[in-house]
Amino acid sequence: MIISGKRLPRRTFLKGMGTVLALPLLDAMVPAFARTPIDAKAPVRLAFAYVPNGIVMKDWTPKTLGQGFELTRILKPLESLRNDFFIVSNLDSNTGNALGDGPGDHARAGASFLTGVHCRKTAGADIRGGISVDQVAATSLKSVTRFPSLELGCEDSRTVGDCDSGYSCAYTNSLSWRTPQTPMPPEVNPRAAFERLFGSAEDLNLDPQTRARRLKYRKSILDFVRDDTQALVKTLGPADRRKLDEYMFSVREVEQRIQSAENDTRKVPPPIDKPTGIPFEFPEYVKLMCDLQVLAFQTDLTRVVTLVIAREGSNRVYPEIGISDPHHPLTHHRNNPEWIEKVTRINTLHIELFAYLLQRLKATPEGDSNLLDNSMIMYGSGIADGNSHTHEALPVLLAGRGGGSLKPGQHLSAKVGTPITNLYLSLLDRMDVHQDNLGDSTGRFDQV
Amino acid sequence: MGFPKRTVVKLTSLSRLLLLVGFVGCLLVVEQHVRSAGTPTQDPKPDDNFAKVVQPFFVNNCFACHDEDLQTANLDLSQFKSTASLVKERATMKLILDKLKSGEMPPPQTPRPKPEELHAVIDWLSGQLGQAPKPTATPATTSEDPMHVTVRRLNRTEYDNTVRDLLGVDLHLSENFPQDDSGYGFDNIGDVLSLSPVLMEKYLAAAEKISRTAVFGVDTMKPTLIRLRTGDRAQPPQFTPLTDYDLSGLSLPNAIHTTYRFPVDADYVIRATLGGVRPPGSAAFQLALWVDGVQTQTVQVDPATLASFALPSEPQELWSVKQEFKVKMTAGDHWIAVSVPHLYEGLPASYNGPNPSTRPVPPPRQFRPPPDLTPKEIEERRKEFEKKRAEKIPANGARVSSLELGGPYAQSKGTSLESQKKIYACGHLNGHHTSSCARLNLERLAHRAYRRPIGPKEIAPLLLLFQEVQKETNSFDEATAVAIQAMLVSPQFLFRFERGRTATTPKLTPHELASRLSYFLWSSMPDDALLEAADKNKLSTQAQIAAQVKRMLLDPKATALIDNFGGQWLQVRKLESVKPDSKRFPDFDEYLRLSMSRETEMFFANIMHEDRSILDFIDADYSFLNERLARFYNVPNVQGPGFRKVVFSQDAHRGGLLGQASVLTISSYANRTSPVIRGRWVLENLVGSPPPPPPPDVPNLDEAKIGKTSSMREQLEQHRKNAVCASCHSRMDPLGFGLENFDAIGGWRVKDGDFVIDPSGTLPDGRTFSGPQGLKDVLKLAPNAFTDTLTRKLMIYALGRGLESADDEAVKSIVKNVTADNYRFSSVILGIVNSEPFQKRRGASSK
Repeated sequence: MIISGKRLPRRTFLKGMGTVLALPLLDAMVPAFARTPIDAKAPVRLAFAYVPNGIVMKDWTPKTLGQGFELTRILKPLESLRNDFFIVSNLDSNTGNALGDGPGDHARAGASFLTGVHCRKTAGADIRGGISVDQVAATSLKSVTRFPSLELGCEDSRTVGDCDSGYSCAYTNSLSWRTPQTPMPPEVNPRAAFERLFGSAEDLNLDPQTRARRLKYRKSILDFVRDDTQALVKTLGPADRRKLDEYMFSVREVEQRIQSAENDTRKVPPPIDKPTGIPFEFPEYVKLMCDLQVLAFQTDLTRVVTLVIAREGSNRVYPEIGISDPHHPLTHHRNNPEWIEKVTRINTLHIELFAYLLQRLKATPEGDSNLLDNSMIMYGSGIADGNSHTHEALPVLLAGRGGGSLKPGQHLSAKVGTPITNLYLSLLDRMDVHQDNLGDSTGRFDQV
Repeated sequence: MGFPKRTVVKLTSLSRLLLLVGFVGCLLVVEQHVRSAGTPTQDPKPDDNFAKVVQPFFVNNCFACHDEDLQTANLDLSQFKSTASLVKERATMKLILDKLKSGEMPPPQTPRPKPEELHAVIDWLSGQLGQAPKPTATPATTSEDPMHVTVRRLNRTEYDNTVRDLLGVDLHLSENFPQDDSGYGFDNIGDVLSLSPVLMEKYLAAAEKISRTAVFGVDTMKPTLIRLRTGDRAQPPQFTPLTDYDLSGLSLPNAIHTTYRFPVDADYVIRATLGGVRPPGSAAFQLALWVDGVQTQTVQVDPATLASFALPSEPQELWSVKQEFKVKMTAGDHWIAVSVPHLYEGLPASYNGPNPSTRPVPPPRQFRPPPDLTPKEIEERRKEFEKKRAEKIPANGARVSSLELGGPYAQSKGTSLESQKKIYACGHLNGHHTSSCARLNLERLAHRAYRRPIGPKEIAPLLLLFQEVQKETNSFDEATAVAIQAMLVSPQFLFRFERGRTATTPKLTPHELASRLSYFLWSSMPDDALLEAADKNKLSTQAQIAAQVKRMLLDPKATALIDNFGGQWLQVRKLESVKPDSKRFPDFDEYLRLSMSRETEMFFANIMHEDRSILDFIDADYSFLNERLARFYNVPNVQGPGFRKVVFSQDAHRGGLLGQASVLTISSYANRTSPVIRGRWVLENLVGSPPPPPPPDVPNLDEAKIGKTSSMREQLEQHRKNAVCASCHSRMDPLGFGLENFDAIGGWRVKDGDFVIDPSGTLPDGRTFSGPQGLKDVLKLAPNAFTDTLTRKLMIYALGRGLESADDEAVKSIVKNVTADNYRFSSVILGIVNSEPFQKRRGASSK
């Protein structure tokens, strides 16, 4: 590869000197937030929490529609929040079905849940999913917040090995897809997620000049690699070029991120101590990830978060609640009451942890209201009945008031055959992102 | 669309294995049939035999499972209403034909079709297949040759290793990167390794930290105190001292083990909090610290001298006694353990243990009632006291209950000599660099970082960047660091590009070949010797390549092949995260987990280093054990935590992968064994013929009954009465039954609950065997199936892509050569690196 005497762009050297800097490199010495949301209407946040392997629907779906429904067993932990969420029944993720592709419902369930796209069946070559709803929102916000989105997960995939039935692990690992070829793998290490938001210890100890200089060099380096890549691309075939496109796309995104960090000169001190790693106990682990999500919203570092409580097809065991059978095989219970009971307990534990997230959000004041009121937090699974892998009438819970645009406290039921993506379009509207369709959407679901 | 070709190919390559298990990868073909539905085909000859012969046959014999409603194995035969509709689905026809010919379908438990009807259908299908069009060769979606290896991003391991070898900096920063996805069972597949903006952000930050560490040395870290681990193993009280036990204390529940990645070379403090009780009058005892299996420090703990100590007659309470060890550690992963060695020594003589305490027998405890109690209350208290006094204190009470780590302290500062040597080509003369040095340094670094020759024009932009920074900071080192940082985020560093010698020659350049070799065997960049060989074009003959491979396999860096290939092939990476049910398997602890994976690593390493037969993987009379595993396996005379080669006696039941606790654990559930998973593991990893995944809505085992009212075998046999299930389970279950004597963590057992284990299995072809040895003997009868499987797995790993039909020739010829070379390990590796797919960018058969 040859760079024919091209000069390195100088603009980055000329500009940016002496600006006050923030980015992930933050100043721990400044005690409080520079900006409080008094000036304008508080922003609306969007988040998704995913649980795998379906839910025991008979203990999930409330008996009656509308307000005042009785909380079912699995929903019981949400008692104190009963006026803060909807249950939305009857939404489908038809694209999770086989549609001629044979087994692999778990992979498809995860990959289609936020995209409404039937992913290509491949163990490796040519992975292809769809753009997920959170990323649609993130793209529109990328010059507004420091991080367009945050992807968090509570299950490391390194040791998983084989994934679902001829599907690459990319499909089960990532709920969130930036482009049809670029999954956004979740951050599973709380420490790394923390450092991404608030900067690493080293960053925090730097003096402002040094930090400014380092940031400037990062920008010069991105200029350097851009030139490097452009020369390289010409020499490559299509598949390789696609990989480099992905690379360039990421380079541009990071550039924009640096840019928006420069515009956003707030100094955000880390409000909690840095986590040391992954907590031993699963509930503690999930709660820590929830804490990070709350912090990210609270500091307005991002407005879009996805949280994979466990990956689709998860074989996690839950010794914390006395369940040593792995989750996935349990859900193939074949109506064995003992197994169903165990699955129900896992489902309930997950909701308990989700309730923790909601409570934390609710307890965080923002202006005259609170974070939960200014958020739309969806919880659900791409599989309804884990025993038979159904992708219809999914368990869907939507919490928060979306800045006053939602009226929770109801059990809604969609018309049979309504794609879940219709709901997503309606949520995007509330983020001021208006688009005509998403994946398999057929319209909007405006009952919320 | 997917790759129809690939799936068909897989079948052909497997057909050889049918002898063993009699299976055709039905679902794979079915997928293919669905996918090829759109391919244009020519119209078949009109043939009304379809309506007369074939359709009625389907209705009578197949629709019970393969109709529109059930679509078992995703196959709906009712959709075929005419010759034309079926002939379009060539693969389906072939599948049906194979299944009918082999007698696998209709399944054994169903009524047999009349022979003449069967033959008529077979004839018809054969005839149609003869005239049906061949499947189209190239899948619609890729405009490129399927043999093409998509440019590979370095995965997390490769990134860390490459940084280590490039700059002498071993920071393991990839820990913070998002997880790499895997495909075809491995995490180094080019097509799957994506690059998200988050990753780019992290690359940029990591590059800064790495380059600054290389140039200026490790940043000073603030010491912190973290909890490493809490004792989690139940410790049943033992009142009589044991005589035959692990004297090191490491195997006992009293010890705590953990692995920790130490961030920098420095001093650390390991703080052990003790717990438990020793009988009154016990002597002082030792507490030992072990680092990587070596006892590095011991300290004496004497509760009798502790401030909290009450009276000689009281039990020696150890709760919250803390003991600190100061240790010097190198950066990287280390296994830390704190144990109570010689646990049963130093007890009061009344315990009759070895080396009893010489302390005087403490007087019996006296009852001292608190004042102001009524006589009745005093009487109650007295009773309580006497009851308690009568209770014997267990002999094995002293334990370590948690570990904490403080540090780093006295961190070593400054850049390492190794980093200096790797960066400064003209020698490091602080403040005395000449301007030509910059170019020299960058040229040499880029040469190594990009793993190929670098032209002067390519250095120019780097040099420019260097000069800008130097001008601004007036520091040669600052400028060097930024230039290195830029290299580390360049696509040329992060990706492995292959272009071939010229646009028309598929053969890789020597440098591309060098990288393929080094990333295959080391998961890292070529070292200087390999790079030099490429520079001098000394990587062209088979002898030259063989010499390099031999050298590389003996290099310590070749452990990467064991960790990354072996860990994923055998799935033993899962060991890191398994959580066996602690109620059923109280024996399982961190030490056992570590020992299990170490055994498999050493076993693999031994085959590699001694260039042994790969058939040792199936069966061998030796393995590598430490005392923990030896006691777990009931193998006598192995002492201490160090691993050594152990030759098994005839009745040891161990030897080969199938006798290793690692493999037996990862192929089990947390609370029970699964003959199905184990059977599948054997088919997938040793025989190369994985069954398709189960259809949804399959009946499950009645868990609650296993071991209580019915045996696992009975449950599975019930399951197999269903003809649909039987078609796959008749292949998997028998293999798993043969391993049923191993429990879910690989311990030997003769009973499961109330049921005596029947370890016999009947293969689909009617052959029977019994127990692990019987199973291994069966597998040994088909050495080529194993060789084929291992070759294919290694090849996927080496090439970073799934295999195609065009690779079949290469695999076949490697298997042939390996067989002729007594199955030596090196012959597989050499076969792969000398094969067309490895040496060329495109396969020989490509257009």
